[in-house]
Amino acid sequence: MPQTLFEKVWNSHKVTEIDGRTLIYIDRHLVHEVTSPQAFDGLRLNKRKVRRPDLTFATMDHNVPTNNRSLPIVDQISAIQIKTLETNCKEFGIELFDLHSPYQGIVHVIGPELGITLPGTTIVCGDSHTSTHGAFGAFALGIGTSDVEHVLATQCLVMDKPKTFEIRVDGKRKHRHAITAKDIILSIIKRIGTAGGTGTVIEYRGEAISDLSMDERMTICNMSIEAGARAGLIAPDAKTFDYLKGRKYTPKNYDELVDFWKTDMVTDNGAKFDKVFTINASDIVPQVSWGTNPAMTSDVTDTVPHPSEYANGNKSEEDAAKKALEYMDLKPGTQITDIKIDRVFIGSCTNARLQDLIEAADVIHGRKASPNVRVMVVPGSQQVKKQAEEIGLDKIFQDANFEWRESGCSMCLGMNPDILSRGERCASTSNRNFEGRQGTGGRTHLVSPVMAAAAAIAGHFVDVREWL
Amino acid sequence: MAGKVIKYERDNIDTDVILPGTYLKLHDYDEIAKHATEGIDPNFHARVKKGDFIVAGKNFGCGSSREHAPIALSHCGITAVLALSFARIFYRNAVDGAFLLPIEIDETAYKKISENDQLEINTQKNEIKNLTKNEVYSMKPFSDIISKIIAAGGLFKYKPD
Repeated sequence: MPQTLFEKVWNSHKVTEIDGRTLIYIDRHLVHEVTSPQAFDGLRLNKRKVRRPDLTFATMDHNVPTNNRSLPIVDQISAIQIKTLETNCKEFGIELFDLHSPYQGIVHVIGPELGITLPGTTIVCGDSHTSTHGAFGAFALGIGTSDVEHVLATQCLVMDKPKTFEIRVDGKRKHRHAITAKDIILSIIKRIGTAGGTGTVIEYRGEAISDLSMDERMTICNMSIEAGARAGLIAPDAKTFDYLKGRKYTPKNYDELVDFWKTDMVTDNGAKFDKVFTINASDIVPQVSWGTNPAMTSDVTDTVPHPSEYANGNKSEEDAAKKALEYMDLKPGTQITDIKIDRVFIGSCTNARLQDLIEAADVIHGRKASPNVRVMVVPGSQQVKKQAEEIGLDKIFQDANFEWRESGCSMCLGMNPDILSRGERCASTSNRNFEGRQGTGGRTHLVSPVMAAAAAIAGHFVDVREWL
Repeated sequence: MAGKVIKYERDNIDTDVILPGTYLKLHDYDEIAKHATEGIDPNFHARVKKGDFIVAGKNFGCGSSREHAPIALSHCGITAVLALSFARIFYRNAVDGAFLLPIEIDETAYKKISENDQLEINTQKNEIKNLTKNEVYSMKPFSDIISKIIAAGGLFKYKPD
């Protein structure tokens, strides 16, 4: 019977069935400082070891400061959490890319760039954006701390088999530089909703997906969780194999693996998905979120919607939109391009890879950030930072008064020193615009890196198609 | 299980409002609990009592995989969240760590249950009694394995048959 790519990965990782659920073998476990301390405590308490330290990799990204790395960490609680990860990795024999490692970075940026992420594998991490790794044809999902402990101890996870969901993005983008992967995924979430993917693993397919680079595919898969999906993936192809070739942890028998991936890690012709959604890339324009979840997003050419019109008769959606507009301090009918901003954040596991930074820098053209706007550019990893500096991006950003910082999660999640103040409005390339996400009372608008860079210069949103 | 209702009439209550990111640095569960639902209800910690229930709309707990979210709720006394639906990772964390019961209810129960109602929940009978209004609602039964993990007291105490 023809199978989908996800079904092939699932079936090849089945260990056994337990009470109607499946025990799945985990090929790679990525660990960071925030969701792991209690898991290691649990291992110690029960005198357990890490079953496969050789398949477990750790870094620190969530709470790390992104300013000068040679200075000590001021926040003592963060310093303890970072120290705890160091101690745990040492005690349990896990490879750690610490703050001074040339490989440190956001866990979902470093996994692929080190060749830890591979097609057809199962990958978990105590972070919901683990779905990012699906861009390589892996089944990658976020788990909580109890499950982190379970995987550390057993290298397995008990799961119900998810349903399959095909999202086809047909056609071509009308403007390759101004309309980005971020606009594709925001357009999808806007249409299917924040629970549209519940219980499913999404496979993104179609011409516009094949057209995307690996950096762009990661942006798409990264936000699968914002549609409520368990994971998202894209079948590997020549771009995937080129990307992974010769990386630090790419296996030695790489060419044999490529032959296997080419023939086996694809959805068979005639395979049936449980659910299908189709969108045409030529209908997509730059997107800006106006509300407090990623589905509350509009075309840059639109206005902030009236709650009733947004909700289309659904009372609870209407209430949610009203609350969102109140929180965001926006009036229905306001042109998106009239919304002024105070801050810009270019970074996060969604949009802090080299291509994101190159594209953002291309928007600048010798101009400077609006004097009222503070702009942070935070590369996703030390490797990204180094590559960007080799081609002079740091200078382009700094000449435009954009801050060029050290790698980490930074202003995506409001748990390190990079936060919004109450009432500040930010154009952000991150993934969540939840209330308080970037700091208590902070207001987040999700956009692509090119839209963020253009907004930084103009001081308000602009239709970046007019600039590129 | 019996307790009073704290109701949030909204969908998509995310993990960032259940426990804002800045508190993810904390290690002590009781300290984490002091900041539960701070993002939407700063008075929550002062008014919640041991045994209380949260009632909410669709997709409760969406967003981050932080287990700190169910930990925060459970350590300030919440024993169950009754919602129209749950985000997957929150549901798993709640059950696997034995922090609280994620109970799926239907629209009727969601509409009829009000703030401060006194409820009695019987998971054997899949029944929710509203003692204040003298009404009975059904809850969606837990799947077999979820019931077993709950009965065992979490994933690590559960032993397959």
